Amino acid sequence: MPPGAPLTWYLGLSAVVFAIGTVGVLVRRNIIVIFMAIELMLNAVNLTFVAFARSLGSMDGQVIVFFVMTVAAAEAAVGLAIILALFRNRETTNADELVTLRWIVLLPAAGVFFHVFLGRRAIAAVKVVGPGLVGAAFAVAVVAAFRLRALPEGGILRDHVYTWIAAGPFRADAVLRLDALSAVMALVVTGVGFLIHVYSVGYMSGDRGFARYFAYLNLFTTAMLILVLADNLVLLFVGWEGVGLCSYLLIGFWYEKPENAAAGKKAFLVNRIGDAGFLLGLFVLVWTLGRHGFWTLDVAEIERHLDVLRTATIGGWPVPVVVGLLLFMGATGKSAQLPLYVWLPDAMAGPTPVSALIHAATMVTAGVYMIARLHALYALAPAALTVVAVVGAATALFAAVIATAQTDIKRVLAYSTVSQLGYMFLGLGVGATGAAVFHLVTHAFFKALLFLGAGSVIHGLGGEQDMQRMGGLRERMPVTFWTMAAAGLAIAGVPPLAGFFSKDEIVSSAFREMPVLGVVGLVAAALTAYYTGRLLCLTFLGRSRLSHEAEHHVHESPPVMTLPLAILAVGAVAGGFLPVPALLGHRGEAGAPLALMALATGLAVGGLWLAYQLHVVHPAVPAQVAARLGGFYQLVRDKFRVDELYDAVVIRPLFAAADVAARGIDPKLIDGTVNGTGMLVAATSGVWRRLQTGNVQHYALFFLLGALALLGYYVGR
Amino acid sequence: MPVTTAVFYLLAAVTLGSACGVAFGTNILYSAFALMGTFLGVAAIFVLLGADFLGVIQLFVYVGGILVLTLFAVMLTHRIDVQVSNRAVGRLPGLVVVGVVATWMIRVARAARWTEGQPGPPAATTAGIGDAFLGTYVLPFEVASVVLLAALIGAIVVSRKEVKG
Amino acid sequence: MDATQSLRYFGPELVLTAAIMAVLALDLGLTARGIERSRWPGIVALAGAAAAIGSAVRLLRVPAREWLFGRMLVFDGFSVYFKVLLGLALLAAVWMSLGSREVRGQPNEGEYFTLLLSSGLAMLLMAAAANLLMAYLSLEFASLTSYVLTGFLRHNRRSAEAALKYLIYGGVASGAMIYGMSWIFGLTGSMDYAGIAAGIAQLDDPSRGAFFLALVLVLAGFGYKVASVPFHMWAPDVYTGAPIPVTAFLAVGSKAAGFAMLLRFFHFGVGAAGPVGAVTRVPLLQLGTLLCAATMTLGNLAALSQQNMKRLLAYSSIAHAGYALLGFVVFADAGVQAVLFYLTVYYIMNLGAFWVVMLIANATGHEDLPSYRGLAWRGGALPALALAIFLFSLAGLPPLAGFVGKFYVFGAGVERGLIALVVVGVLNSVVSLYYYVRVVKTMFLDEPRAEDAPVHFALNDLAAVGLLSAATLVLGIRFDWLLARVETARRIFAG
Repeated sequence: MPPGAPLTWYLGLSAVVFAIGTVGVLVRRNIIVIFMAIELMLNAVNLTFVAFARSLGSMDGQVIVFFVMTVAAAEAAVGLAIILALFRNRETTNADELVTLRWIVLLPAAGVFFHVFLGRRAIAAVKVVGPGLVGAAFAVAVVAAFRLRALPEGGILRDHVYTWIAAGPFRADAVLRLDALSAVMALVVTGVGFLIHVYSVGYMSGDRGFARYFAYLNLFTTAMLILVLADNLVLLFVGWEGVGLCSYLLIGFWYEKPENAAAGKKAFLVNRIGDAGFLLGLFVLVWTLGRHGFWTLDVAEIERHLDVLRTATIGGWPVPVVVGLLLFMGATGKSAQLPLYVWLPDAMAGPTPVSALIHAATMVTAGVYMIARLHALYALAPAALTVVAVVGAATALFAAVIATAQTDIKRVLAYSTVSQLGYMFLGLGVGATGAAVFHLVTHAFFKALLFLGAGSVIHGLGGEQDMQRMGGLRERMPVTFWTMAAAGLAIAGVPPLAGFFSKDEIVSSAFREMPVLGVVGLVAAALTAYYTGRLLCLTFLGRSRLSHEAEHHVHESPPVMTLPLAILAVGAVAGGFLPVPALLGHRGEAGAPLALMALATGLAVGGLWLAYQLHVVHPAVPAQVAARLGGFYQLVRDKFRVDELYDAVVIRPLFAAADVAARGIDPKLIDGTVNGTGMLVAATSGVWRRLQTGNVQHYALFFLLGALALLGYYVGR
Repeated sequence: MPVTTAVFYLLAAVTLGSACGVAFGTNILYSAFALMGTFLGVAAIFVLLGADFLGVIQLFVYVGGILVLTLFAVMLTHRIDVQVSNRAVGRLPGLVVVGVVATWMIRVARAARWTEGQPGPPAATTAGIGDAFLGTYVLPFEVASVVLLAALIGAIVVSRKEVKG
Repeated sequence: MDATQSLRYFGPELVLTAAIMAVLALDLGLTARGIERSRWPGIVALAGAAAAIGSAVRLLRVPAREWLFGRMLVFDGFSVYFKVLLGLALLAAVWMSLGSREVRGQPNEGEYFTLLLSSGLAMLLMAAAANLLMAYLSLEFASLTSYVLTGFLRHNRRSAEAALKYLIYGGVASGAMIYGMSWIFGLTGSMDYAGIAAGIAQLDDPSRGAFFLALVLVLAGFGYKVASVPFHMWAPDVYTGAPIPVTAFLAVGSKAAGFAMLLRFFHFGVGAAGPVGAVTRVPLLQLGTLLCAATMTLGNLAALSQQNMKRLLAYSSIAHAGYALLGFVVFADAGVQAVLFYLTVYYIMNLGAFWVVMLIANATGHEDLPSYRGLAWRGGALPALALAIFLFSLAGLPPLAGFVGKFYVFGAGVERGLIALVVVGVLNSVVSLYYYVRVVKTMFLDEPRAEDAPVHFALNDLAAVGLLSAATLVLGIRFDWLLARVETARRIFAG
């Protein structure tokens, strides 16, 4: 008998261990635990052999155990290697990670339905639900971003929602994709968007269309998130069109004012021109790829088939250049670049938070994002990239010049946005994608802050927007002043605030690639510092020039508005330390030359100092300078009269042509049909009639809601 | 009750308890540490059975090698997969199955007549094992070394990062 | 026989070991000189495999039947026959690899050939193992190398997943097997088959339960290796995920080695003491019949709906393991002879089928059935014809080799009185015809569509395929030569 117990007891012990191991293999789902269970089985084997060796009094059993151990060790080594290889290979991830991405989009979308159907009866609920859902989407995005970080570098989270288009060989799936780039964007859109939503609760309080406003705002966020998270260009285009439509809805929000409606229409029309280019670019792309048997517009697929695109030509032109330029045309529309920037300054006709949303977090960044998304494609088309860089630099300078002479506080900021977007395109054009996206992020912080601050001022002054009738507000609105000052220093590029780092990376990259554009960037930077300083000085410093009525009205905004300002201020101050370029894997771009950094800092401080001298210390000088400049100053003040030019050259001939066309076709037939249908429907349904009241925007909204409902059906299916 | 019997019960309890921890634990790290408990328990039983050298080797190979490899695997993959890691379909049915299977196996084992020899007095086994490797077991010994070599190459092939292309 | 004397009968293994070392050293040398993507490791491996076959063929003439290495291996006609067959499988796998896009020119190509040769060496050892320890060790050796070869396509997630699945199944199956072996050791006091046979003869009645349990566990390990139902679950995924040459090697070589082990253990270790069942009173016959019928039926039914050719052939090879098991269930020399014959024929036609699939995958980049549409009419007439021959032979149509193979297996079954099982086998052959013919129809009768590009095949790629299809045709008519070889090989050394 072996020591301690009879042989069968030892066998029994090993049998139980073996049974536990076997069941462990069957029950567990984790590979490593299954592995451990297999080790249990082998240990049971070893136990029996040693027990038999003891009872037989021979060495054989022990020797065999050695070999079992050898095999176990070899198996463990190979097994570990395979597990690691598998985990390195994994692109997609498991089920519960997949769910998260669609919630980023679905949460704000749910808000739209809530506001439309229940909003009017429950304003209090809207105040919570509107921002709350965007905040929740932000939380989901943060979780997803952490999941993404856990993946190996270059990892992607994907969420296959449903197969959307399967037309013949072409196939587009509604797939959401979170990689480093889209994660950064999603965080900005939901994060800054959330703060703007919160701010809006205060800003729009008491407005008649409170629920409608939040419905649009949530829809806007939804569309932008679809654009950002889209895995293929078709879905991206849906978001692209969606933000265009929403901007039209939001800019024309106060549709009673005719100039607002006109601004909305202008935004829509100009964007349509750009979109035509974008759509053409997509067609050329899908056609070229399809000709080689790849019927797809998946971003990853496009990157995989770059070889096909590299050599392809269309009408003698290389396809990457053609596609790049056409898509860039779309980007100039959406992101307000020369020559299609004209809609953006007018777009501030809408409520100020909407301007903040459009300018900072959504809409205008779409073009920048799209080019960053397709940087692999653009890398094949240096000519297109050069165009992007030149247009970007030109816009940066052009808009900055205009901004120096504007007196409407929001208009200054609008041109400032155009100018800053120019920087981003300059960065993209010189191949500094990481720096461009970095600037996008920092800009989102300080531009949102500037707009919300301006909104706070306007709110406090009872609707006054002209800086010539402000001044000395520093003591009256301290929180607004200090936060806006932080944003102003950031955008001016004063170290170590956010704008300094991102702008510096772009300018230094430009110097490396195209020194001329670098110089342009520096000049525009100096102008930026000047007009920002001018804005701050005219608004907050010097003596008060308020009208009697405004003097009486002025007050600091409520905490619901100032708190988002404070949070954004933190971002504007510290955002430069976010490792955005590193996150995007563009490490080589960091490290601008010290001399350039010093020069940029000098220009920033100089511009601010000049503004202070001109508008606070010697307030009489600007008028003299303006008088000395004469016609040129007037030209700058009138924004180089580009609008008038477009009006004469494009709009009027177009409407004239439309008029002729309209007369040519029998108007009665078409109008009659449409009206008849409308009446029929209105007669049959009381609910429908109620929905039909209101304005044209509602139709557009319901069109989108229908699309969303369809999406919801597929998701829930 | 003799001391050795008590020791056997103690070791059996440790081994079984940790084995259950491996198979039914909720956290993958606990499973890994429970696995160490099983390994140690089995090693101690080896010593109890007079296979002292084997007990030491058990420590080297299982605890020092396999368990460390397993922990590496856990560390390298769990941050992706922590939650999913410990899905188990039915711990209770699992335990019932263990009970049934083990009971059947023990019944069968108790009924069987196992061959027995004349166990000599406990002696150091190291020399005997070494002789066996170079005598009767020379071919398995050589094959085992080729197995280890192949496993080594295989593990490198599978896990090596791409140098080029 | 002691170690030094044994070496005389150990030629093929020694040659392969030398070749493994040579490939490894060559690869190291090439890497040290910065040369990548050399074709030399493959050529050396090919030479090594050929030399091993030569050495094995030389041993065919040696009539000796001996224990080797202190009762670890045996030398007999049976083991040498399998060594030749496995050597040929290895040679074919290396040859295929040299023409495979998935392997040639990939990084780690040298290690790939090292592992392929190691896997071959392990299978040779499996064929000769007559000791539970050697059986376990060589089986694990073959498995470990196969896992890595399966996961060789490192950028292919399917490949890595297949490797992992293979590993888990293999780990559990071999763990169960060695546990069963430990009980056999405890019951008989021996690990070598002669000792086990002697021990079994003295088993008393109460020990039968333990012996039955041990036997079932051991059967799980062997069944996993030959991919018999219900231990087949790994096979479809592994066959689909692995590079095609590896798939072919696993389907042919690994299965043959598994059968060698299975036959030797049950005819020597368990069966030598007398008719199976009489001595052990274990319902082995019923168990085997059940496994055999289930394997044939499940394999064929699952193959019916497959669209991927590798997967289709995977299920088909499971079904063929079932046919071969029929010969095993006979538990007599006639059965062994039928299995040997069947495995040889299966080697030729299955390898040929995989070879054509690889050529088509090289040419079109696809393995799914739609990419075979009208293949014969767009430049692939020869491979399509060859594939048709292989598939018809797999289906068991006369006058092809597959028919003769099935004839002998079913004949052995009828002789033993396993009428029901033979009926199941014949019905299965009829069912299998459907999915084989479907492929042939796709290649010949379907019109190629506009998007189906023409394909081109180099003549030298087709050489091996032509050789195999010629063998399929010839063996269907003149099989007496092979039968004579099998006749001498069927007697398993029994102590």
